This record gives sequence, C-alpha cells and structure tokens, in this order.
Amino acid sequence: MKRSTLMATAALLLAAYVAVPLLLGANQYVMSIVVAALIIGGVAMSWALLGNLGGMVSFGHAAFFGVGAYVSALATVKLGLPVFAAMLLGGAGAAIAAIIMLPVLRLRGPYFALAILAYAHIFRILATEWSSVTGGAGGINNIPTLPTVFGFDLASKTGAYLVVLTLVVCCAIAYSRIRASHYGIALRAMHDSEDATRVVGVNSTLLKGMMLLVSAFMAGLFGAFNAHYINFLEPDYAFNSLWVTLPIVAAIFGGYRTILGPVLGAVVVYLVDQLIFKSLIPTGHQLVLGVLLVAMIVFSPNGLLPLLQKWLKNAFKAKEKTHA
Amino acid sequence: MKRTYTRIAMAALVASAWLSQASADEFLVGAEIPLTGNLARVGAGMQEGIMVAAEVFNKTNGKHKVKIVTVDDESAPAKAIAAVEKLASQGVVAITGGYGSNNISPASDTANKLGLVYITSGGVDDSLVASGRKNFFRINNTAGYEKAMLGMLADVGAKSVSIVYSTKDATTGLAKDVEKALAARGVKVTTHSFDPAITDFKPIINKIKLQDKSEVVAMVGYENDYVGIIRAARVLKPKIKAMVGVWSLATPKMAADFPDLMPNVFGTALLPFPTEFKTADGKAFSDAYKQLYKKEPDYLGQFGYVQSMLLFEAIARAADKGTIKKGGVAEEMRKTDRETLIGRVQFAANGDNQNFVHRMAQHQDKKVVIVWPKEHATGKLAYPAVPW
Repeated sequence: MKRSTLMATAALLLAAYVAVPLLLGANQYVMSIVVAALIIGGVAMSWALLGNLGGMVSFGHAAFFGVGAYVSALATVKLGLPVFAAMLLGGAGAAIAAIIMLPVLRLRGPYFALAILAYAHIFRILATEWSSVTGGAGGINNIPTLPTVFGFDLASKTGAYLVVLTLVVCCAIAYSRIRASHYGIALRAMHDSEDATRVVGVNSTLLKGMMLLVSAFMAGLFGAFNAHYINFLEPDYAFNSLWVTLPIVAAIFGGYRTILGPVLGAVVVYLVDQLIFKSLIPTGHQLVLGVLLVAMIVFSPNGLLPLLQKWLKNAFKAKEKTHA
Repeated sequence: MKRTYTRIAMAALVASAWLSQASADEFLVGAEIPLTGNLARVGAGMQEGIMVAAEVFNKTNGKHKVKIVTVDDESAPAKAIAAVEKLASQGVVAITGGYGSNNISPASDTANKLGLVYITSGGVDDSLVASGRKNFFRINNTAGYEKAMLGMLADVGAKSVSIVYSTKDATTGLAKDVEKALAARGVKVTTHSFDPAITDFKPIINKIKLQDKSEVVAMVGYENDYVGIIRAARVLKPKIKAMVGVWSLATPKMAADFPDLMPNVFGTALLPFPTEFKTADGKAFSDAYKQLYKKEPDYLGQFGYVQSMLLFEAIARAADKGTIKKGGVAEEMRKTDRETLIGRVQFAANGDNQNFVHRMAQHQDKKVVIVWPKEHATGKLAYPAVPW
C-alpha cells in the first residue's frame, strides 16, 4: 500500500472513531441515522463483494440479512448466548443458508438473480410459518441489546456506532485481503471472461460458491447487529426487499467495484436523504434521491468514490504544477 | 433621560418575562406517523385526528396550548426510532401516533428510554403492553374487537362460523382468540389462514361452501383481503347467513369504492355514515374536522383525536402541578378516567385501555349503520343478509 493511501486510511479511521462520536455523539437522532447508514453500507459492501469478485448480481441479500438476524435473536432469546457470540452465529447461519443456494450458482445473469430472489421469499415464509420457533408473523420482541463492556454501554448510540463501524472495518479488511489474494485475482479475471479462466484450470464454481458464503456471512452479521440494535424482529421486516434495494442503490452510487465505495454510497445517500431532503420535503423526499441516483449513473457510472479519487488526483496535480 | 432608559429597560424585562411565560405554556408534542410507505393511508388518517385534537384543545383549554411536530416514520421500524429521537431532540414533552405494531414496538421502546410518554391506537399486538414499557399507553386492543364480533354473533345466534384470516400478526392473534371464545360457547368453528400476498380466495370459499357449510364467514384481514373474499363469495355463493369482518371494512370509503360488494356486510366501526355525534365532544371533533379537512371524519381520525386529546389533557394537568419534567405526564395518564368518543378510557398498569369495546356496523343502502351494541345502535340489524 502506498504511503499516501495509508495516511489517508489512518486519517479516515481516526475521524470515524474519534471525531464522529465527539462531534455528533450528543445528538441521538443524527447518530441513529449514521448507524442505520452503516448497516446499509455493510450490506451494500457484502452485495458488492459478490458482484465484484463473483460476477453475480444478487436480489436475494435480504435472505442473508434476515437469517442472520433471526439466528442471532433466537440464540440470545432462547439459548441465552451472549450477544456478540450470537451475532457471529447469525453470520454463520446466513452462510449456511447460502449453502442451500449453491445449486443456483450454475445459473447465470437474470436467472441467478431471480433464483436467489425466490430463496429470499422462501426464508420469509419459513420465518412466518415456523411460529413455534420464530414467533411467526408476530415476530420477536425484547431482543437483548448490545452489552456493557468495561462500563461502556454499547447499547447507547455512540456504543452502537462504534460496534457497527468496527464490523464495517473488519469486513472491509477481509474484502481487501480476499481481493488481493490469488483467489481474488482469479475471481476478477473471471468477471471479465469466466470461460477463459476455466480454460486455464480455475474452478470457477468453487470460487463463486466461496464468495457467496463470504458475502452471506457479512450480510448476516449486519442483520444480526440490526436485530440487537432495534430489539425487534418480524418476518416482513427481516426479509424486506428494502435490505436489497437500498444497498444496491448505495453500492452503485458509491462505486461497487471499490471496497469502500458501497459504504461511502450508503452514508452519503442515507444521510443526505434523511437529514437534508427529508427536512426540505417531509413526505416524498425519496423522489429527489431517485433523480440524484439517475444523474449519478448518467454522469459517473463508476460511482462516487472513483469520481472523488479522480477529482483529488487532478487537484494534487494542479497543486504540484503551481509549486513547480 | 436616565430614568426614561431605566423605565424602558424595566418594561422590556417585564415584557420578556410575560412572553417567556406565554411561550412556556405552549407545549411541543411529537407525532410519529407513517405518512409514506405501506401504512401511509392509515397514518394520514390518524394524523388528521391528531391535528383536529390540537385545534380543539387549543380553542377550549384556554390556559395551555399544544403545538404538533410531525415526523414521518416512512412505515419502517428503524426510521420510527429515528423519528422519536428527532422529536426528543426538538424538545417534545410526549409522543402521539404510531401505526403498525412493528413500528410502534421499537419506537415506544426508544420513547421509554428517553422518558417520554407514547400513546397510540395503531397497534393491537398484545406484546406491546406485555413488555413492561412504563410510558406506553394505547386506547384500543384486540380484546375490544373480539368482544364486538363475539357479541354480535351471540345476538344473532350463529351456530357455526368459518374464520378466514390473514397470517399477519394482529389478524392471526384476533382470529385465534375469536376461535377459542366461539368454541368455548359451543359454536362449531373452522379456520382458514391465507398468506397476505394471495388474491384468489375461491379455493377457501369453496371449502367453506362444500365442507364447512357454516352459517357465518368471519373475515380477519385488511381492505384488499375483504374485497377478494367477498368477490369470491359472490361468485360461489355459499349458503351462509352473513359475512362479518373487523377493521377497515365498515367504512364510507369501502361503501363508495365497492358498492356492489358491501351491501349487508358487517364490520367493526365506531362511526355511522353519515356521521352522527350526540355529545359536545363529538360535535367539537366533527366540526373542527370538517373545517380543517372539508370532509366527513372517519374512524382513524376519531382514534387519533381521542388518543391525542387524552394526552394533551394529561400534559395540561401535569403542567398545572409542575411535574412535566418529573414524569408527571405518565402519572396523569395513569389517572385518566374519561368518557370519550370511543367509550370510557381507563389505563391498566400495563398501559392498555381496559374498557375498550368496539361497535359493529353494517353496510345498508350505501350507508354504514351501527347495529351492535343496542345502546349505540343507529339502525336495525339485517340478518340473514348477504352481499348478493
């Protein structure tokens, strides 16, 4: 990694971990919006990972999000497991759910997208009908909140923010490591031509399967976090199409071929929508967001992050020229 | 000259003290409502009632005023939480509103943590009052709907009932309770659940026609479900004596939108149509509603009005005692015992209105007539009577 990139990452992390809680920590409403944005950002990152490294467009990430949420909620409510252990179990549960989906990896393009969407629907029905375990349509109330660690209440807004931010950072590091590994190189090659990579001996189905599991684990983790953050879960909410559409919008807006693009996209889209557009147009503000998204796709199809990188590069070049 | 300045300064001080006193008597009340998303229609109806309550309260109370600050929760639980937090940051003294148990549950949890009273009529899930929220109050509940439906079925002497219900939470709960109560009375009951996504009810109606052969079809669902069920029944014409439903069925909107489907159908309703109010409170509500919205009031507005008026009155009492910031609003809510447009309201320790009993109405000649209980009836019950 270049020194300048390292410095920028360190500054970004410092700002995220220190400056945000210091500046906004007292405002519960803004912190709540930031936490929600990071949850969407996390799911967007998991969606983008599958698209970027697996070449698969998923409309079924709500299934992973919902399964993760249910597994974690049930593990705490019924088995009495600690929240963080249950969250990891939630991620694992989502990955197991993804194993059931492995046969659809044989499908490509819209067929894969539709098949995975159908799976999400199946899980919603399961959660509704299996009422002896899931509570049925009524869902689960009073899900345990995040714990207090060393006297610091992680269930507070600042606490929840630090937890979800850490999850995002951990997932970003994992994504970055996978992308830089030889698996990642093979996957990116597959993105351009799957047949060509198969010819040189790459087991594309195995690699795609692995990416599906990793992506599902990440989405499940954020679903689990959300269940403990909201303290309530029901099938319609856990498997809502919102958990697919909004992350897709965020990932495309931010730049789905980059690692942090989807998170940046989610934060920008959600914060701008909730804090600015909603204040200006209390009902129907999503309309402005739709227009903004269309404009973004037309003028910068690669997303916001590549656009920002390009802009910063040009700014630095101009500065260097001035100094010369 | 110096004395003149002193007088001006004194006058300014007195004026500012008076002004601050005046503004201190105006209380900000939050309304967390779904104005967009899948609950937008019912949310908007409740919002109208809240605004009417504020209008009537401000005109009649004299000493205290309320100002409503509304935040749209977009029919989403996470946004309902954010809405409550936003309202709290704006300095509201309590919250009225909420629709859908899935939004109300996390929103009222947040209000509870922030020490704010939260009152609603938009959630009938019993877990809302079983979770130990100290500042949560609601004016209606499943039991009230159940009492109305069971009361009417007992009065007509129905011996067999087929319950068709949506697998949503509130509908399932109500259907199960009604089934249990009817069975305990010795009524033959069969149940048919359906996924909220289905639109073709002919297979279920066919089963009722050929297997159940019940006297009454009881529907526990929402507007679209009722339309589908009644439409299927009109096609297959089972030999029944009545079709009975619950919320959102005996409304002027349904009568106007589906004039061929609604005749003789029963549903829970607090208001006849055309509306008719006999009490001073009812007339004040109706007049203010018509003045603000240029239309006849509906049940959503009525619920929104009652819950908000009870809250405003509790705020006023707490303000008089100087206990607003010391949990006084919740304390005054617990002391509430008042005859309202939906009947007597008293809150149990869990915040539920222990007196709530709904009324049953019937669509008759494009009108909605209250037919049960007798003391509130505005017309005669037609039975047997079906929509075809």
